[in-house]
Amino acid sequence: LASRGSSREWVGAGHVRAEGRLRDIQTITDVALSRLDDRDLLAELLKRARDILQADTAAVLLLDPSSGELVATAAAGLEEEVRQGVRIAVGAGFAGRIAAERRPVVLDHVDHTTVRNPLLWTKGIRALVGVPLVAAGEVIGVLHVGSLAERKFSSDDVELLQLAADRAATAVKSMITKEEGIAAAALQRSLLPAALPASSGVQMAARYVPGEGAVGGDWYDVFTLPSGRLGVVMGDVTGSGLPAAVIMGRMRSALRAYALVTADPAEVLAKLDAKMQHFEPGALATVAYAVFEPGMKEARVCLAGHYPPVVAAVGEPARLANVAPGLLIGAAPGVDRPVTTLQIAPGTLVGFYTDGLVERHGQTIDDGLDQLCRAITTRSPDAACAAVMAELVGNTPARDDIALLMIRSSPGGAQP
Amino acid sequence: MTAGSDDGYPVRWAGSQAMITMPAEIDVTNADEVRRALLFLARPNVPVLIIDMTGTTFCDSAGVHAVISAYRQAAETGTQLRLAVTAVRRIFTLIGADQLMPIYPALEDALAGTADGKASPPGHPGRGR
Repeated sequence: LASRGSSREWVGAGHVRAEGRLRDIQTITDVALSRLDDRDLLAELLKRARDILQADTAAVLLLDPSSGELVATAAAGLEEEVRQGVRIAVGAGFAGRIAAERRPVVLDHVDHTTVRNPLLWTKGIRALVGVPLVAAGEVIGVLHVGSLAERKFSSDDVELLQLAADRAATAVKSMITKEEGIAAAALQRSLLPAALPASSGVQMAARYVPGEGAVGGDWYDVFTLPSGRLGVVMGDVTGSGLPAAVIMGRMRSALRAYALVTADPAEVLAKLDAKMQHFEPGALATVAYAVFEPGMKEARVCLAGHYPPVVAAVGEPARLANVAPGLLIGAAPGVDRPVTTLQIAPGTLVGFYTDGLVERHGQTIDDGLDQLCRAITTRSPDAACAAVMAELVGNTPARDDIALLMIRSSPGGAQP
Repeated sequence: MTAGSDDGYPVRWAGSQAMITMPAEIDVTNADEVRRALLFLARPNVPVLIIDMTGTTFCDSAGVHAVISAYRQAAETGTQLRLAVTAVRRIFTLIGADQLMPIYPALEDALAGTADGKASPPGHPGRGR
């Protein structure tokens, strides 16, 4: 690492400085920067901040909210920080103090007593200045600049760096939002069954529509069990975005694992609940889990805060299945949930859905459920899905995720 | 005595018993605010917290989940939650929230703590099948 600052005349005459400062501010507020995408803008800002302050390194550490640590994310001049995945606890050392106290810190003495990150002092950094990255009133990271030469960063330096940090914070926030949105959508897509399992004697169709703005935590799952039974899951994690999608993924695999261990749907949900409360404290989710006997003559259904399935027997209007309610996953420890056994006549259509389908402003939940039942005028799963979506969603953008799954035994003698 | 909660929902006190008035509509846009307001009151020195939803005309599952979230903290602080709800009662029973806390058809009943809907003893959710 070659020293850049020491070879230059930094503190010049007053008027030269004033001119230089204006140029410096323009360098950071440069409109041309807006044409870069967020990641390139961050890299360019770091380079410019480093050069303006005639320093040798610049780095951005971003707060990882789950661990409460700052993680080196972008660097100019001392890229090892990023490559080695440097992590600093908030409150600890130089960067940690900036994040904890939400204010700039200037250091003209860098060693193990003042700086937690050994890379900085072993590489010969002598002076540091850092400022918090603040977006929407919250600290999201730290931007710091280091010099190999002995020097004392001035209040002008701090102001310039804060200017760069504010610009960086906007870019970072937008980058995180975009990346999380893409990740959540990809995760969600990967977790929904690409093709519903071809189960003998059963027809199925499903719809999933992500909510506007942020993908939520809705999911559905269908799997055959070694016993030949069919497991059907409809679930909804409270919250949205990547955190909800990640929890949803964990719940989906845990439920599958417990479904192999026990045939009792209430026991599956009890195990899932215990797992969630231990490993994801604070998370809330609703789940409907049904186990269908081969041939679909009977289903055992257990609800955890989820709306009951809808059933449409041949020649009868669709209605809500009379399934006893059970408490949400994550609501309270040691909850017992009832299991309801449904007898299913040949050709009967059974539908599972999430709240986004039936909850609308200006109408009660019963209105929404009635509307769902009335929309089911066919016993064909795919046609019923299409009719329900047309009737309940139409051309309205989904505020919340919507998931819908329709299943029936293949019509033998019975006709829809 | 009347004092605003942390989030601006009216709170009235009768001794150490707190009563909070919920907004007319609760959905995903204000559920977090509702949850915070309830969590603010579910603390060890508040033995009873009455949630007045008798003026609430719309509540979706985000609202129910906010109340359940508050229940979980209340169970730890020893605060008994009582819910007075009229127009949107159905969504609470449909989701099974009445298994967690007593639900009353009128505010007076919730204040008196009598004639509760169909709850198991408060604090002992759905046990003992």
